Amino acid sequence: MSDLVLTRDLPAPRRHSLWSDLREIAVDELWKYRELLYELTLRDVRIRYKQAVMGFAWAILMPALIVAAGTLVRFAMAYMGGGHVARDVIAGMAVKALPWAFFVGAIGFATSSLTGNLPLVSKIYFPREVLPLSATFAQSFDSTIGAITVGIALPLLGIHYGLAVLWAPLLAALIFCVTAGAALFLGCANLFFRDVKYIVQVMLTFGIFFTPVFFEPRMFGPLGARLMMLNPLAPLLEGLRLSVVEGHNLLQPLVIMGKKGAVVAWSPWYLAYGAAWAVLGLVVSMLVFHRTEGKFAEYV
Amino acid sequence: MTGAPRIQFEQVWKKFARGELHDSLRDLVPAAVRRLAGRGPAQDELSGEEFWAVRDVSFEVRPGEALGILGPNGAGKSTILKLLTRILVPTRGRCAITGRAGALIEVAAGFHPDLTGRENVFLQGAILGMKRSEIKTRFDEIVSFAEIEAFIDTPVKRYSNGMNARLGFAIAAHISPDVLVIDEVLSVGDLRFQQKAFDRIQEMCTSGIPVVLVSHQLERIASLCTHALLLERGRIAKRGTPTECIEAYLESSRNSESAASHTSALTFDALSLESELPVRSGERAQFRLSGDVGPGSDAASRDFSLRVRALSTGRLVFSASASDCGASLPARGPFEMDVELQFNVAPGVYSLELAVWDAETRRDIVAGPGVTVQVEAGALTFSGTSHLLPRARVVTASSTAAGGSR
Repeated sequence: MSDLVLTRDLPAPRRHSLWSDLREIAVDELWKYRELLYELTLRDVRIRYKQAVMGFAWAILMPALIVAAGTLVRFAMAYMGGGHVARDVIAGMAVKALPWAFFVGAIGFATSSLTGNLPLVSKIYFPREVLPLSATFAQSFDSTIGAITVGIALPLLGIHYGLAVLWAPLLAALIFCVTAGAALFLGCANLFFRDVKYIVQVMLTFGIFFTPVFFEPRMFGPLGARLMMLNPLAPLLEGLRLSVVEGHNLLQPLVIMGKKGAVVAWSPWYLAYGAAWAVLGLVVSMLVFHRTEGKFAEYV
Repeated sequence: MTGAPRIQFEQVWKKFARGELHDSLRDLVPAAVRRLAGRGPAQDELSGEEFWAVRDVSFEVRPGEALGILGPNGAGKSTILKLLTRILVPTRGRCAITGRAGALIEVAAGFHPDLTGRENVFLQGAILGMKRSEIKTRFDEIVSFAEIEAFIDTPVKRYSNGMNARLGFAIAAHISPDVLVIDEVLSVGDLRFQQKAFDRIQEMCTSGIPVVLVSHQLERIASLCTHALLLERGRIAKRGTPTECIEAYLESSRNSESAASHTSALTFDALSLESELPVRSGERAQFRLSGDVGPGSDAASRDFSLRVRALSTGRLVFSASASDCGASLPARGPFEMDVELQFNVAPGVYSLELAVWDAETRRDIVAGPGVTVQVEAGALTFSGTSHLLPRARVVTASSTAAGGSR
């Protein structure tokens, strides 16, 4: 076709480098639009609590249900094994249920955050990162309420906080990064492929069986524990339980002697592995998001 | 004019695909395999379903300039606006805006129905890139402009369409942008608010910031813009003053209308305005037209209509046949004709058009050339569209002056 006469002196397309892209995301987009991120988070929080009968109880409903379900599972296991469910087992589940509920909630909202705001995406420019990120921030508002509740409830279950509890903020930050990374990636993927949201739904429903929330990885034996820890959330959740409930310093390994040999319940490498996922996952997701962003308005 | 260009469009090309894109993972896998196998299309080529929506478009807008973009539907106007506002990214070329771009496009897109007007003002303001403190200082201004003071704490879902649009416009109109991009948003609310919105836009346009305006309301372009572009199928067909482009646009749309050209005995060669521009409201203007009458014409086929159209609305202001105007063409051969019209119309942009009308098919079979006439305020003082030559006298009066006055 004669439409294809492209002259040679066309301006060259802009070169992307990893560093320049990351700086663009951080400085030109997120920092410049931080107020928008705040407003959108506020919007999501307001909508959730407006005209809601439950009010703030809503924030702890989901973690509470997870703990209840877990207690039931553990009760059955203890009954078969002839033991009973210790209080620190329930405490451990409460500590892990909270971040899991956060992950499920944030991913659920973030996956459809771009497709759910079609008029915005196709009509007005702003860095689209703020949509999945504000969904994640809005969920962390709920989780903060949950965390305060759990923090008050644990001593009532007989847990004494040690120095190791100081690991909790770092682990919370890493969990946030993992979630934000997944939120960006899935939000973007769902815009291009509308079946992503169904896959995500299924994954979130069954994910709890592949993530140590109801149980501890060491219950699966030496090899099983390692396999379970491959899940990026597993070391972070397990680390949270060990540091908060058992007062374990995460820089020390923890080996437990079982009937079938020694099981590595914790190793500092697990922490490094989880942290690597959190940071790299977030960076890669941001880059993927950033580089496909220009096509969003064409695909929606 | 003054300063460096704030809006730059350099040889911009934009490719779109017709039909369905892959939008499920099931479709992606085969496509990805093809691409890996090296049989995918390269970026600059068009594969079967693709087309160029914008081809090699370049322009610059400097402070103090206002560029109007016109063209038929599908010419690429909206695509250019979306490229300007960074919603789309060009396939080739570069487009850049220096500073904050304010866009009067789809002004209530960010509203959430469950939030109150107040909450939505802050949300929409942030979406448009305003700081919270900035919105705070302009909040009262925005609300009073939108005229919804009483409802500002009501959820937007209970607003009428008009209120929604008014609030959206008010927010967009109160960002102080470095560059302004306007897409036909002038039909906001009722007549009175439309006028208010238009005044506001005019105020923003004349404040010296560079403006790009896309509109089908040619009058808007004629009155607001300093330059204009005519787009046709993604290309720039003409650039020049607004009047030149409007003329070319009308010309091309007239030509496409009469594409199914019947054979007619009558052809037109030229039509020109003999008087000086601008014409003042109420004054007479002279036109000269020339044409040719072919063989085999009868009296009916030699007649044609003279029409005056208001460009702002596209409506006919006046239409009459040449014979009604007292002119009859020769039976054969070239002719020249003088036409004089008195423009008893409101100030604005009008065009004089010639056409041969077929009474049977009720369509134009030959469209002649047109000429654009700018009418400015003159001796006639009236408002409305046409001057109806009023004459008034008092028929009952107090007893002392029986007989009335003239």
